[in-house]
Amino acid sequence: MATVPQPIPTTATTTSPSPRRGLPSGVTALLFLLPALILLLVFLVYPVISTLRMSVDRGLGGNFSRFVGLDNYINVLQTPSFQTAIINNILWLIFYTSIVIFFGLVIAVVAMRVRYESIIKAVVFLPMAIAATALGVIWTFVYQLDPNIGLLNALLGVVGLGPVSWLGDPAWVNAALIAVGIWGSAGFATVILSAALKGISPEILEAARTDGANEFQIFWRIILPMVSLPISVLAVTLVVNVVKLFDIPYVMTQGGPGDASRVIALEFYKQDFSAGQFGKAAAVAVIMLVILIPVMIFNVRRFRSGSVV
Amino acid sequence: MAKSLRFMTLPIAAVMIVSACSSGGTPAPSAGGGTSAAPGGESAAPGGESAPAASGVTGATITVTSLWGGSEQEAFQKVLDDFKAKTGNTATYQAQRTDYATVLQSKITSGSPPDVAIMPGLGFLRQFARSGGIKKISDLGIDPASLEANYPPGILDPGKVDGELYGIMVKFNSKSTFWYRPDKLSAAGATVPKSFDDLKSLISTLQSKGSATPLALGAKDSWTLTDWFEEIYLRQNGPDAYKKLFSPDGDWTDPTVATALDAMKSVITNQNVPGGITGALGVAFTDGIAQAFGANPSADLYYEGGFVGGIATGQVNKSLEIGKTIDWFDFPAFGGSGDTAAEIGGDEIAALTTNPGVKEFIQYMTTVDSGTTWAKTGAIISPVKAVGADAYPNDLAKKEAAQVAGASAVVYDGSDTLPAGAPDMGAMLQKVIQGQDTAGLLSTFNSAVKQAWSDEK
Repeated sequence: MATVPQPIPTTATTTSPSPRRGLPSGVTALLFLLPALILLLVFLVYPVISTLRMSVDRGLGGNFSRFVGLDNYINVLQTPSFQTAIINNILWLIFYTSIVIFFGLVIAVVAMRVRYESIIKAVVFLPMAIAATALGVIWTFVYQLDPNIGLLNALLGVVGLGPVSWLGDPAWVNAALIAVGIWGSAGFATVILSAALKGISPEILEAARTDGANEFQIFWRIILPMVSLPISVLAVTLVVNVVKLFDIPYVMTQGGPGDASRVIALEFYKQDFSAGQFGKAAAVAVIMLVILIPVMIFNVRRFRSGSVV
Repeated sequence: MAKSLRFMTLPIAAVMIVSACSSGGTPAPSAGGGTSAAPGGESAAPGGESAPAASGVTGATITVTSLWGGSEQEAFQKVLDDFKAKTGNTATYQAQRTDYATVLQSKITSGSPPDVAIMPGLGFLRQFARSGGIKKISDLGIDPASLEANYPPGILDPGKVDGELYGIMVKFNSKSTFWYRPDKLSAAGATVPKSFDDLKSLISTLQSKGSATPLALGAKDSWTLTDWFEEIYLRQNGPDAYKKLFSPDGDWTDPTVATALDAMKSVITNQNVPGGITGALGVAFTDGIAQAFGANPSADLYYEGGFVGGIATGQVNKSLEIGKTIDWFDFPAFGGSGDTAAEIGGDEIAALTTNPGVKEFIQYMTTVDSGTTWAKTGAIISPVKAVGADAYPNDLAKKEAAQVAGASAVVYDGSDTLPAGAPDMGAMLQKVIQGQDTAGLLSTFNSAVKQAWSDEK
């Protein structure tokens, strides 16, 4: 169904076997490649082709016998809730990705300077161990309107504000959901970036200090450029997370109120798949794939270029 | 890290393939003992084997799926136990709590459906019937005409697709019940409202007596709004216009629709609802019940179907007393032809296979035995005519059964009647109560619903 492509393995590309007796080198190479090729064909190439085929069919109730050309695509793109979903995904892309990286970097840099670094990192990483569904349920309670249940509104009540209908107000709902996503992913970013920071050799930092650089200059001129590659890899991962984002809005709002918090994957599921409209659903999946292709190309280039976390 | 993940996909994929083959490959004959009849259903079997007694097979095992859990599942289990005692066949219940239709659809598509499904929503019933996913009742060897006498007129109609009976309603709830706190009303010196205007003045009376937001609303679950709209539309325009609206001929741009929405918006207001409209849009159905009937109530009235009673007294607040702190009145009248009609939401039983035991189970579910056993649990109202009022364990359920039995017309939940591919009516209404442009929303909705009806053909 939703074919989210994995980065293409690049393992066997650099093999240059010295020809020996027996099989010619081309056949040997092919034999070594075969297991990976079969897996790719079965789990990547076939589903993509099959989804493309499904996306040009009416496909009602799993019955693929009515070719409709590009109708599904036109139909999907004209649906108002799909347009809202695209806008919401862009909101997620901007705020979720940047804030997660920001928090990850700040926590990693600050934690490195204290003795109880591992404790801080463990605490920040903890939400990663919670399934996104459970995360959604927990935060649904936190956001409850009734201050007797909703922690956030209880806190606002103490300072004489609110209650705010976090999940019922179209003005707040996306911010509320993105905050949950950030809470769930900041730990991941912290751990990745912390590992990258550890890779910077202390001599460089000491040399800079000896030359009279202050800590801000060290951060901006040395640390940041040296972790730019891990940051970009992290950003790609987060972008992929956003495009296939489903669980948090599904559990917390079902895309509501109205369609204020719909995202593409939820739209795909709710409007199309659970309504038995497999053709339209396949079209949404293809659109998601098209959105992801540039990200994937970027990612694969990064992998090829060598140094990866 | 990425590399190790990639290697892990291999064993996972292998497991997936193996399990897919094992579940999809065998079409689950699932007949329990050796005494089962020849596959293909006894009606088709040309009398070769020594057929068991007239009552049909015994010792068969079938699977039944529906979306109940918790107390509702326990109630249904009593029915299954009685089925075993009466016929000697075993029916195993599989709960599918969420995404019921989606999972059922994929089980049908993959060729390993459960034997029997009890489903809400006629759109899916029609879709599955037309795609061949479910069997005709007559294919099981049951004569549909023989069932008519068991039910009040009209109860079997929702289960018919293109004139053929595919589903049989096995339980329902009234949706014309308006829940209230009798203690709060008598404290305010108010009486139960008869008309919609009475309801409005009741709300202002309660407000003047210190209840700031008397009308609880759980609009995060958008189906509560579809029920509000349906009740008002039914009462304003009568059962025939109601049925037409939720049929392929329905016109959502008709002025009657906007009129009903205006009436709805005249009581669902920022002033009447706890937390205002945006507040209510963040409150789920059960939390809405708690607003009126919970330990710290902030409201006195709550509109939803007859099932509110069981959830309120069994789950939300066990100290509620029927008649004192919880009760319901008929949904207020508008002076139109629909005032004495009742709307119901019901579940239809349908056969997905013709395995031995399926016919027996479906037949059993149409009997007074199953109806009485189920009704006694207090979880449902039985559509079987012979189930008496004394079968219901409490006054709320008795009253509910009597309301529907005494209604001048019974109509089926409209949003459950729309095609499976129709746009989300609840989401549309969530936008309406936020004050968005009703005419624009209705015209978009209208064309999408029309498209979905024509797709269904």
